[in-house]
Amino acid sequence: MAAPCRKMASRSFSQLLYCFNRTAVGSVGCRRFSVTPVGRARPQAGPAVERATSPWTLMAAVCLQRLPVISADESPIEQRFKQMMQQMELEKSMLSDHELRLLEDADRMSRKQAGDYDSDEEEGHGDQEIMLGQDLEDTWEQRLKNFQPAPRVRADVDKDLTSVQRCLADSLVLLAEQQVGAEKLWLLPQAAWQEGETLRQTAERALGSVTAADLKATFLGNAPCGVYKYKLPKAARTESSVGTKVFFFKAVLADSAPAKAPNTALLWVKKSELQKYLKPAYAMKVDRFILSL
Amino acid sequence: MNHMFRKRCFPRAVYVHMLLNDATQTELILSGCAPGNERRYKGTPTHGIGRWKYLLPKQAPKKKKDRNQTKQILSATDTAHGTLNVKVSGYDMTVVEHYSQYIHNLCNRLGIDVAESYALPTKSTEVMLVQDQGNKTYVDAVLKTHQRVVQLSSLNASLCPVFVDVLLKNQPEGVQLSVKEHTEADFQARFKARPELEGLLAQISQ
Repeated sequence: MAAPCRKMASRSFSQLLYCFNRTAVGSVGCRRFSVTPVGRARPQAGPAVERATSPWTLMAAVCLQRLPVISADESPIEQRFKQMMQQMELEKSMLSDHELRLLEDADRMSRKQAGDYDSDEEEGHGDQEIMLGQDLEDTWEQRLKNFQPAPRVRADVDKDLTSVQRCLADSLVLLAEQQVGAEKLWLLPQAAWQEGETLRQTAERALGSVTAADLKATFLGNAPCGVYKYKLPKAARTESSVGTKVFFFKAVLADSAPAKAPNTALLWVKKSELQKYLKPAYAMKVDRFILSL
Repeated sequence: MNHMFRKRCFPRAVYVHMLLNDATQTELILSGCAPGNERRYKGTPTHGIGRWKYLLPKQAPKKKKDRNQTKQILSATDTAHGTLNVKVSGYDMTVVEHYSQYIHNLCNRLGIDVAESYALPTKSTEVMLVQDQGNKTYVDAVLKTHQRVVQLSSLNASLCPVFVDVLLKNQPEGVQLSVKEHTEADFQARFKARPELEGLLAQISQ
């Protein structure tokens, strides 16, 4: 189960209207997704109506997550319990075909060496006499020795915050350093909403502008998962702009080719490391919808 | 009281006149001639005292349930997705079944309506390897792919990203998850093909 191997059985996820296939071979820590949109349920952009302009600037941000690639390490209690359960299952289980074959072979050997052995009386086990069960086991052992699994944890990659392949057992969130007002802040990639597009399209645009074009992401839904309200300091407030509202959309990382140098600084951080980079009020709102499972 | 009157043997007309105030007693005495024919009940006076079903409102007779297509396929609205199929597939049956049970229980807890929960037939794949010495292939292993489907009747659009995120984060190793819309073709694929019927239909159409 916790095999230290990157070539694990594929674990792929298909979203409705989108197809995701992850093949085990190839890039590490990435899932290859193929996107085949089939008539999206897009909310109708209504005709241009005279809308009362609100004093809030609307922005949409994307919470792009890279899901864990390998299973997390087990705690000592979990390991002991797992061993106990495996032992119980082994003791309760019935013999498999291979084990029965081994027993038959041992039985036949003992009969051959008995002395009064008549090979004509044996049933047709032609194949099994040539290749005993024990030989099969030896060939399998050999093949297992030739197989070199990749290391589960690579300390140097883990420390590199910009690498998408760090911490394969945890889920990571993408942070970008963006210019907000007068200062540069670390936040989830965001962009301002424009007339005539949905908030989700704004979020997609935000992702595209911040990262390389071939970073494929799948949005999990049309509805935002969180909101952050920021009121401008009293001095900067005017009639038409009181502050900004940022709506967050969740997305899951599809297969990413090695990123070309992006225009902005990017970080992949775990939930526990978010506190160091985000402002406290912002972090409080973002913490609510990032699941640390 | 009646007995007292009868003993005195008043003529009938006089009876009517005298007992005009008391309507019930008039009726009793007018219609019945002999005392033995005056019963209005079957066995005992309390016959049918426990009857209550005639008081209930009339119900339409229950139709025999149509076995095929008991559930309508809902289409998407502005705020909710339509009928969705969450398909879980993998090689290890216990893991696949436990994960589908987990999804079902999660839906119950979150208040998502689960229309159906069924299994698709298992597909067996034989892995053939070429022998080291020679070109003959031999069967190395038989892999069985198990599939379980949890059909959701409708999924609120605001709940959808949360739900899918939780499913993804709890996805076990070796299990593939797929969320698609349910179509008529998916429904028909579960039934066995009937070759005789198809042959007869082809003959009719020819």
